[in-house]
Amino acid sequence: MAVKKIKTKDKHIKNLATIVGDASSILYQKVDLLAYECDGFTVYKHSPKAVVFPKNTNEVSALVKYCSDNQLPFLARGAGTGLSGGAIPLNNEVIISLVKMKKLLNVDLENRLAVVQPGYVNLKLTNSISDKGYYYAPDPSSQSCCTIGGNVAENAGGAHCLKYGVTTNHILGLEVVLPNGDIIELSENGILDVPGYDLLGLLTGSEGTLGIVTKITVRILKSPESKQTVLAYFDRVDDGSQAVSDIISAGIVPAALEMMDKTAIEAVESAAFPVGHPRDIAAVLLIEVDGIAAGIDEQINQILEVCKKRNVREVREAKDEQERASWWANRKTGFGAMGAISPDYLVQDGVIPRSKLPEVLKRIEQISQESGLRIANIFHAGDGNLHPLVLFDARIPGETDKAILAGSACLQACADVGGTITGEHGVGIEKREEMRFVFNDEEIIAQTNIREVFNPKNLLNAGKLFPTPGRCGEIKQVMKEATTVS
Amino acid sequence: MIATELLINLESIIPRERIKSGQNQHHHLGNNAQVSVFPTTEEEISLILKYANNHGKKISVMGGGTKRGFGGLTESVDILLSLSLYKGIVEHTVGDMTLTVKAGTTFYELQEYLAKHKQKVSLDPTWPEYSTIGGIVVANENGPKRLGYGSSRDVVIGLRNIYPDGSIIRSGGKVVKNVAGYDMNKIFIGSMGTLGVVSEVTVKLRPVAKYESLILISFKEGSIDEILMFSKALLDSVMEPVALELLSPTLSEKLTGQCTFTVAISFEDVESSVHYQEKFVKGIQPSGTEMDILSESEAQYFWHLFYTICPNGAKESAGEETEAALKIGVVNLNVLSIIKESQLLQDSYNLVVESHGGLGHGLCQVILKGSSQKVVLAIRQMRETVLKLDGYLVVKHLPFELRQKVDVWGGKPSHFFLLEGIKSKIDPQKILNPKRFIGGI
Repeated sequence: MAVKKIKTKDKHIKNLATIVGDASSILYQKVDLLAYECDGFTVYKHSPKAVVFPKNTNEVSALVKYCSDNQLPFLARGAGTGLSGGAIPLNNEVIISLVKMKKLLNVDLENRLAVVQPGYVNLKLTNSISDKGYYYAPDPSSQSCCTIGGNVAENAGGAHCLKYGVTTNHILGLEVVLPNGDIIELSENGILDVPGYDLLGLLTGSEGTLGIVTKITVRILKSPESKQTVLAYFDRVDDGSQAVSDIISAGIVPAALEMMDKTAIEAVESAAFPVGHPRDIAAVLLIEVDGIAAGIDEQINQILEVCKKRNVREVREAKDEQERASWWANRKTGFGAMGAISPDYLVQDGVIPRSKLPEVLKRIEQISQESGLRIANIFHAGDGNLHPLVLFDARIPGETDKAILAGSACLQACADVGGTITGEHGVGIEKREEMRFVFNDEEIIAQTNIREVFNPKNLLNAGKLFPTPGRCGEIKQVMKEATTVS
Repeated sequence: MIATELLINLESIIPRERIKSGQNQHHHLGNNAQVSVFPTTEEEISLILKYANNHGKKISVMGGGTKRGFGGLTESVDILLSLSLYKGIVEHTVGDMTLTVKAGTTFYELQEYLAKHKQKVSLDPTWPEYSTIGGIVVANENGPKRLGYGSSRDVVIGLRNIYPDGSIIRSGGKVVKNVAGYDMNKIFIGSMGTLGVVSEVTVKLRPVAKYESLILISFKEGSIDEILMFSKALLDSVMEPVALELLSPTLSEKLTGQCTFTVAISFEDVESSVHYQEKFVKGIQPSGTEMDILSESEAQYFWHLFYTICPNGAKESAGEETEAALKIGVVNLNVLSIIKESQLLQDSYNLVVESHGGLGHGLCQVILKGSSQKVVLAIRQMRETVLKLDGYLVVKHLPFELRQKVDVWGGKPSHFFLLEGIKSKIDPQKILNPKRFIGGI
């Protein structure tokens, strides 16, 4: 096969191409760059300078060193499924795509760990070890295409994080290319608590602003002996919320506890995986319990009792694995399902103390009425992680901005009750200003001070995660106007 | 003279009755100070730090004092900041299963309070009656049940940290899932108090298990391979032990009366599940071993004893014998090699060596007692063994004098400059717990 030739005079493009070997591992022409203008957060778009596809850690290191030496802004990208804009090249970055680094390097079942490259797809790991009875726990809804490198950057969660924790609870070691090109190893062989400040924990969830992860050691778990899912329909959201609290208070730790409201049900039932949820109910709960089979029945019975006490219209267990899987497919494709009832949607990611659920849902309903936009709610009720989906039509002038402001108002509602602005999607560029809902200036500076230790030139993924000084007042003003729209 | 000036200055911040001079000057574990202060408000802590930062005074931070022998190459600093009076529950929403508590609250007090609500903090530190939640978090202390429940890094969801300049910096929050900004909690957990004073800790809680049992299987001496086979079979099953701990013969004798390698397996779940798992273990019990099943209060009593085996820095010196405690991290199944080696050290150095390690998480604790010279030699030999296994060894407890002879943390990692960088951003004057942490941080 003939090697593609570089057709540009830009010396940086030529030099970057040399590092990755040949012209087929770099994109630089405008038409080729279109797909890289944004990630799963499509509201903002910006063109990168180039996209390079390194094949190993040394190439990543050399690319980073080149960018650093030449003052070229750069960022890392996995599958581009991020929902907060963390991989959007705001500053005309060189995008270092890690999709070619997609190997499963090692599986050590006895010591319950696996080593993967960052471009390795989340679900592939579980698929490759499930025959031996093992799995990788973090299960973001995009797990069939998102990469574990991206999961580390975002500290991704998922439906089953209630019992098993989010990505950070499953990362045992990292190889990282620092923003100057140096390669460091953090707990190379997955040993716990290595002496020193916990950089592993700090790097996880740092949204690609402290370094580029090039190798990841993850914990793998033994698949539970048994699992059972219960579905419950409620005529009042309050009853559903109360049932959630009652289940947790009963000392049950469900593997997952999910809720969808009426608008969300309308969407999932209109999309690719309908399961026959009644359209007139206010809320559906999906409750999964897993563990030792001998203990499951007792917990399921307790859950059924709790739901009945809370005026459930109908509650039942999945009759077989097929039904269980169909309920989960229906839930996990919930975001995309919004496309069936709205041209565009914006998903938010607030977290609240569980007990505040009814109060916050009322507030979100108010925000919906005030903005004139429908808001569907799909959420991880067990851990209080709400995903209000603001439905809008980008073709209508001004509606995108209105949706952004309604989303922000939902986050304010979460922050007001002692919650936070993001539980698993990250801040990215989407929620930079909302960081002020939960942190004061000193606390934000405390964080940017840490960034300076790793990323002193701020060439790596600049402009993400933290609010821009001075914009705060302006945004608040616009928001105030938006929330008073009748 | 200097102490007088220090006293006068501190009296402008905190009432005289909560300032003590002379009390903490000559402890054999070090981490001493000219003056001890016992703040009861966050404002007082903040003012003390600010004062020290502005006047170049060094501070040693202490909770219950159990970890006084853990690190520290400065025999005495200016101020010992004790959080032992800064205690109490700040906020507990039962239904949310989260709790905020002041750092000086002892673990026992905390669990007693939570037990009324059938909830718990799922950590299992040593000396719960003495250890404070703040000390447990900043020293990243945990026990065998880490296998089932994780460590502080899995349990802590928010912290209030008082920086050396007196500012109060919150990290994390009060909800169980949170990715807003950097996960700053992580750098304070295990930081040995070198970055800030943690004043409040917010944790996620778990329900108290409805039933628990502990299986003790004693293996004949020298049957390491048999233990390995058994552990692999259990770990590869769908059973869900919350602890799978190998005890050395010496430790086993102390706790169970049997001087054999013993595997302790803990199950916590609904009763039917626990019994089912006990039955499974019986089914794979290797021949020639003895099995004992302790349930509920018997199991709890075993753990109660277990958490007192480590030297306690808050108690006076045990006597002429030197006591040391080591934390060793290796890849999970290499725990067998460490526990075996510890038993050999006992014989070759004429020491009493009690050790245990988690076969599902790779963390071991080795406790040595004997002459100081031999303890030091044994630590060095153990470190060599650990390094051959690509693990690490940290000295958790050793008298101050001996800490000059043994590197507590065992050398600097190649990325040490990042650790130094973090320290200098937060504590540029190096006033907090000087030389307490890795590489002299």
